[in-house]
Amino acid sequence: MPVVDVSWRDLEKLLGKSLTGEELEDLLLRLKCEVESIEDDVVRYEATHDRPDLFSVEGLARAMKGLLELELGLRRFRLQERPIAIVEVENVHYRPYIACAIVRNLELSDEAIRQMMNLQEKLHITYCRGRRKASIGVYDLSTIRPPIRYTLVRPDDIKFTPLGHTQPMNGYEILKYTEQGREYGYIIANYDKYPLLIDSEGTVLSMPPIVNSEDTKVTEKTKDVFIDVTGTDLKTVLDMLNVMVCNIAERGKPEIIELVMVKYRDREILTPQLTPLRWNLEVRYVNENLGIELSREEVTKCLLKMRHDARELSSEVLEVEVAPYRLDVLHVIDLVEDVAMALGYDNIPPELPEQPYVSGREAPIEVFSRAVRNVMIGLGFQEVANYMMSNPDTLLRKMRLPPQPLVEVENPKSEKYTCLRNWLVPGLLEVVAYNKVAGYPIKVFEVGDVVIVDEAVDNRARTERHLACTIADPKATITDVLVVLRALMTTLGLEYRFREVEHPSFIPGRCAEVLVDDEVIGIVGEVHPEVLTNFDIPVPVEVMEIDLTKLMRKYSSVREVLT
Amino acid sequence: MWLIVSCGEVTLSEREYKIINLIGRGIKDLDKVASELGLDKSALMRDLAGLESRGLVKVTRKDVKYLEVTEEGRRYITLGLPEERVLKILLECSRAREGIEVSELPKLCRERGIEVSSEEVKIGIQYLVRAGVCSIERGIIKIASDEESVKRFLESCSRLRAALKLAEEQGLKSKVVEVFGEDLIATLKRRKLVREKVRTYFTLELTERCREYLNKGLLKVKPLVTRLTPELITSGKWREVEFKKIDFSIPVPVVHPGRKHPYMEFLDYVRELLISMGFEEMKGPHVELEFWNFDILFQAQDHPAREVHDTYFLKYPREGIVRDEELMKRVAAVHENGWVTGSRGWGYRWDPRRALRLVLRTQTTAVSMRTLYERGEGEYRCFALDRVFRPETLDPKHSMEFYQLEGIIVGRKISFKHLLGFFVEFCRKLGLGRPKFKPAYFPFTEPSVEGFIHHPKLGWIEVLPGGMFRPEVLLPLGIKNCRVAAWGIGIDRIAMTVLGIDDIRDLFSKDLTFLRRKPLPLIPSLLR
Repeated sequence: MPVVDVSWRDLEKLLGKSLTGEELEDLLLRLKCEVESIEDDVVRYEATHDRPDLFSVEGLARAMKGLLELELGLRRFRLQERPIAIVEVENVHYRPYIACAIVRNLELSDEAIRQMMNLQEKLHITYCRGRRKASIGVYDLSTIRPPIRYTLVRPDDIKFTPLGHTQPMNGYEILKYTEQGREYGYIIANYDKYPLLIDSEGTVLSMPPIVNSEDTKVTEKTKDVFIDVTGTDLKTVLDMLNVMVCNIAERGKPEIIELVMVKYRDREILTPQLTPLRWNLEVRYVNENLGIELSREEVTKCLLKMRHDARELSSEVLEVEVAPYRLDVLHVIDLVEDVAMALGYDNIPPELPEQPYVSGREAPIEVFSRAVRNVMIGLGFQEVANYMMSNPDTLLRKMRLPPQPLVEVENPKSEKYTCLRNWLVPGLLEVVAYNKVAGYPIKVFEVGDVVIVDEAVDNRARTERHLACTIADPKATITDVLVVLRALMTTLGLEYRFREVEHPSFIPGRCAEVLVDDEVIGIVGEVHPEVLTNFDIPVPVEVMEIDLTKLMRKYSSVREVLT
Repeated sequence: MWLIVSCGEVTLSEREYKIINLIGRGIKDLDKVASELGLDKSALMRDLAGLESRGLVKVTRKDVKYLEVTEEGRRYITLGLPEERVLKILLECSRAREGIEVSELPKLCRERGIEVSSEEVKIGIQYLVRAGVCSIERGIIKIASDEESVKRFLESCSRLRAALKLAEEQGLKSKVVEVFGEDLIATLKRRKLVREKVRTYFTLELTERCREYLNKGLLKVKPLVTRLTPELITSGKWREVEFKKIDFSIPVPVVHPGRKHPYMEFLDYVRELLISMGFEEMKGPHVELEFWNFDILFQAQDHPAREVHDTYFLKYPREGIVRDEELMKRVAAVHENGWVTGSRGWGYRWDPRRALRLVLRTQTTAVSMRTLYERGEGEYRCFALDRVFRPETLDPKHSMEFYQLEGIIVGRKISFKHLLGFFVEFCRKLGLGRPKFKPAYFPFTEPSVEGFIHHPKLGWIEVLPGGMFRPEVLLPLGIKNCRVAAWGIGIDRIAMTVLGIDDIRDLFSKDLTFLRRKPLPLIPSLLR
C-alpha cells in the first residue's frame, strides 16, 4: 500500500481549517488511511490501494472537507468544453493509447509541485504497474506549441535533454545514462522505435514511459499544465488522467480544465472524460448489508459527506453521482461502504449472528490427529512443528534418496525453502541435529501435512496428514520405536504387520513397511549411518512415519464394522 | 509405653540416642545440646517432645527476667549521664556561680572536648534543676547548691551508671536488683535506659527409668534404611527401622514430560473456540490454482498481489484444471464486464490459462471459495485454520509460511454488523480485550474492515481483517440470496501475544529447551 507524505500546513491551507493531531489521525483512519508518523510538519500515512485520489494532499483535503462537512457533495470543476489543443496519434503499436488534458490558472508552490510528482509516482507504482500499463507526464503548457504528435521515432533520431540533465541525448543514451532509463528502459528497449511526444515546433515533451524533457518541466512559475497519459490499456489511461486532473485542479485559483482532442487514425476522442457515473442505490440495500436502520435522509447525508451527489428517485431509491476519480466504485456495494465510512464504523453496533441450528465440528482429520497426538504424548514424546517448506537437499540428497518430483516453487527467497516437504522424517532429523546439547534420549514427534505430486488430481498435488517420530539415543535400538508403534496400534485397536523393505535412508535389514489390511500405511527403520553423518547426528536414530489419512480410513472401517 | 518392646528393650532413632547420651553426660542446657548435635532448637524440641512423652526425659521450663540496656543506656555507660556531663562543664567554668547562658553550653562543651548532643544538654539541665543542683532563670543557668550536695548528686549519678554497666555485663535482673535495689532499676526503666525481657530456659534431665535402661544397656538404636522395600512392608519390620531423612534442598533430576508443541496447543484451543461458536472446520489444498486463490476472488490478473514478490508460483507441477467450464465463463465475464452482478468489472481481457497456473496458496480464502462453491446458499458458518505461503525471507518479523484463521458466516440475514459482532466475541473469548475497527480495503470484500487489538508492548496491532464478500465473488458461485461475512485472521500475531513471543521464528522453533520450558499456553479467559 502506498505511503504518502503531506505537509500538515499545506493540508490545513487546502482545508481552510486547522486540525489537532488527534483530529488528523481520526480523519485519516476514517478514510482507511493509517498514520505512520507525524514529525513536525510532515504527516506520513499509508493509503489503501483502491483510493488513488488519496495518494496526494489535494484529494485528501477534498475528502476530509466532506467528513468535516466543510463542503458536501460532488466536486464540480470548471470545464472549458471546446477543445483548443489537438493531439495527433500515429501508430504507436505497442503503446497505442494516449489521453491528455490541460489545467489552467494554477498556483503552484514548491509543495504543490512535490505533491504532483509524488502522486504521479504512486500511480506509476500501483495502477500503472511500474509504468508498463500506463505512464503519466505533466508539462508547463507555456513551453509547448500544440498540436502535439504522439509517434514512434528511431532512437538515433531522438534528441532532447532529459529532465534533470544538462546535455541532449539520443534514445539509446537516455536508456543508458538516465536513472529512469535504466529502471524502465526494458519496457521499450526491444523495439526498434521508441514512443515520443513532440509539439508543432519540434520540442520534445517526453519519451514515454521513460522520461520528460527538461525544457517543458513544471516550475513554481507555471500557471497552466499539460498532462498526458500513455499506455497499453485505454481504461487505465483514462482513469489515471482523471485522478491527475482532479487532484491538480484543486490548486486552481479557480481552475479551468480544458478538454483536449485526441485524434487516432480511425476516431477522435475528447479527454479527460469527467462525466460522473450514475448509480441507483436502494436505501433498503444499504441497511440490509450493514445491518442497521438508516432513513433515506441519513443515507443521503452520508453520501454527500463522501463527496457524491445523491438525488431522490423514489421514496426508496437514490440516484448517486460518483466523481470520475473514484475508481473504486465498481458496484453499488461500494457506495454501501462509503455510507458506513461516513457514519463511522464505531456507529455500527456489533451484533452476534443467531447461533445456527447445526453445531460446530472439527475436521475429521483434526479429530484423528488430536487422538494420535495424545497417544504420542502419553508415550513421553515432545511434539515439534516444522515448516512445510524445505529443500531437495534435505528431503532427498541427505536422506540418500534419488531425485524425484517435488512441489517446487519458481521464485524462492532462500535456498533453504524451495519446495514442500513430501515426508516428515527429514525435518525431525534436523530437530535432533539441532539439539545436541539438550541431552539424550531425544524423543520427538510431529503430526503435520506433506504434499505429494499427483497428476490424478485437479491441482496436481495431494495433501496427506502424516505422523512421524524419532528416538535418538546412544543406546537406542529399533525395538524402541517398534514398542511405540505397537502401543499406538493397540490404542487404536488395529492389527498390523511388517514387510521388510530396502530403503536408502535406513540400515539394510532394519527397515520395514507397516501394513494394515495389506495396505502400506507407513514405514519404520533405523536411520542409515551415512544419513546420520549428513545431518551431523552422532547417535543412533530410530524412526517411524505413518500416513494418518490412510490410518484414519482403516480405523473408521474397523470401528464401523464393530458398531 | 507403646514403644517399649517385649524384651524390655527401647528402640530409639539415632538422634534420640545421641540426645539421651548427651544429657546423661550432664549437658542439661537445651542450647548446648542443640549445638553439640548441630541442630536448630526447633528440630531438637520436636525430638524432646517425643522423648518426654515416652517418659525418658524430663524437660523443666524456667522463665528468667533479663535487663537489656538500650542504645541510649549504652552511650551513657561510656560517656556518663547527660546531667553529669553538663554539671562537669559548669564546675569547670569559674563563672558558673554567677550563671552561664544556656545557649553558650554547646560551645563550652566543644571547647572542652566533651561530647554532648543538644538533646542531651536539655536532658542534663532538666535533671540538674529537678535535683536542685542548678537553677535556671531567663536562660541563665547557675549552680544553686553547696559543694556537698553537688558531690552527693554526682555519686548518685555514678551509681546509676554502675547499675547500667552491671545490667550490660550480667543482664540477669535478680542480680542487679540484689546489688542496687528495685528503685534504681525502676529509674533506669523509666529513663528508658534498660528494657525488661523474659527468656525461657529449658533444663534437661533423664528420668529415673531412663537411667535404668541406660545402665542396663536396654536403649537400642533403630537401623536406618534409605529405601522402603516390599519385604519391610510385608514383614512388618518397617516398625523397627528408621527411614533416612530426605534432603529436599538437593536439586532433583530433570524429567521432560511428553507435551504438545505450545503453538499447536494454542491452535487446538482456537479450534475449540470456533467450534463452540457453531463453526464447522473446512480443509483445502496447499497447492492451489490461481483460479481459486485469486480469480474467483475478483482479483484482477495483473493485481500486484499476483506478482512474484507476493506469491510463490510453482516450477513443478505448473498447471491444474478446473472442470466446471461454466464457472470459468462466469468468472471471466465478471472480470471483463461485471457479468450480471451489476458491476463494471475490471475491463480487461481475462486469460483462462493464467487462472490454471499453480501456486502455493497465499490465503486460506481459497478454501472458503471451494466451500462456498460446494455448499452454495444456506445458513452455515465454517472456518479453516491452516498454513499459507508468501515469498518472504525468514526473519524475526517475517515468515514465508504462517497460519491463517479463515472464516465465513453465510446466511440470508447476515450483515456487516454480524462480522463486527463476531470479532468482538472472538476477542472476548481469547481475552484480547475489545477490538477497534477502521475501514480497510481488500479486493474481494465490501464493506471491508480492519480490527485492531491492544498489545501490551506494541500498542494497537492489526490482526482482524475481514469484510462482506462482494457480489462479483458470490454470484459466479451461485450465491444470490445470501450474504457472506468473511475474515482471515493473522493468528500467528495473536499467538505471539498470548505466548509472549517476540520472534515469529520461535513459533516453529527446533529448540527443545525452548519448547520444554515454554509454559502451557492456556488462555486465561477459558479458566474464569
